[in-house]
Amino acid sequence: MIRNEAMQIFLEKIKKDPIVSANGFISRDLFNIHDKKTNFYMIGSMGLASSIGLGIALTIPRKKIFVFDGDGNILMNLGSLTTIGKLQPKNLIHVIFDNSIHESTGGQPTSSSIISIAKIAKSCKYKKIFTASGKKGILKILNTIKNNQGPIMIIVKIKGGGNSGKRISISPEKIKDYFIEEL
Amino acid sequence: MFDYLHENGIKNFVGVPDSTLKKFIKCGLENNKIIITTREEEAIGIATGMLLAKSPSLVFMQNAGFANSLSTITSLVQLYKIPLIFLIGWRGFLKNDAPEHTKIGRIQPDLLKIMEIDHKIVQDSNWKKMCDWALKKFQNNKSCALIIPREFLD
Repeated sequence: MIRNEAMQIFLEKIKKDPIVSANGFISRDLFNIHDKKTNFYMIGSMGLASSIGLGIALTIPRKKIFVFDGDGNILMNLGSLTTIGKLQPKNLIHVIFDNSIHESTGGQPTSSSIISIAKIAKSCKYKKIFTASGKKGILKILNTIKNNQGPIMIIVKIKGGGNSGKRISISPEKIKDYFIEEL
Repeated sequence: MFDYLHENGIKNFVGVPDSTLKKFIKCGLENNKIIITTREEEAIGIATGMLLAKSPSLVFMQNAGFANSLSTITSLVQLYKIPLIFLIGWRGFLKNDAPEHTKIGRIQPDLLKIMEIDHKIVQDSNWKKMCDWALKKFQNNKSCALIIPREFLD
């Protein structure tokens, strides 16, 4: 399964919940599969999707907040996992699309094929950590977490490749304004 | 200064500790209003999330940490026009501060200028006025920085 196929499965189930997406192909895929005003497309500031998601989750505890992260992104801001673990946002669902490469810069390897992000998340006191690699698995997890409290991590093992689709055509200021308005 | 900013609407104080700001941070910790992060960029990310959820936030750091954050400031705070208040302790302000602060402290005014960040230097005599200036910037949806020079050695 490649990234946009995996994301498609999530988006069939996540209809309205706010999503913060990491820069690179992850934001582009989200934009091309299901654009909505409660998507915050992070286009710069690599590594910070989980931090932005944490800030939102802490401020609006009644809403589920999804973060669509990548392995390269989270490895750049591992400290974020410790802060999330310390603050324990019950409504944060941290999805990592893990292809073990920096795909948007040309497919250079990350260390996620050798180092377990799931084990790091466990040490950081995430309440639930799931790993999935197929459609059935993802759907089962999405069903299970309805009854779970966060912080939750879902690692989706994917293959590299696939078309990333067109760039996000909304200006950053508009992305922000729409998000604030609709949240 | 903490109490004043808090009473005037700033709800969250997120950042990395700095000795110049230790009294400010102590005050915030006692009020349970401080989030300590592992790096400055992380603090900017969290504060941005809070602002997206309409909760006014300040990010505090040392000037060395400000230098860590340049790319995050250009590609998140300035790109999306996020109205953050930065509170930055300025090491290397005194000529005889510790050696690791000498160069980064010397270029701090130029860094702020080249980054096009509106800023004011805070002193004992003007802190309230400077806080009002920053709060006004925030109300007008602009980011800005308050700089506190470290005028003591230990």
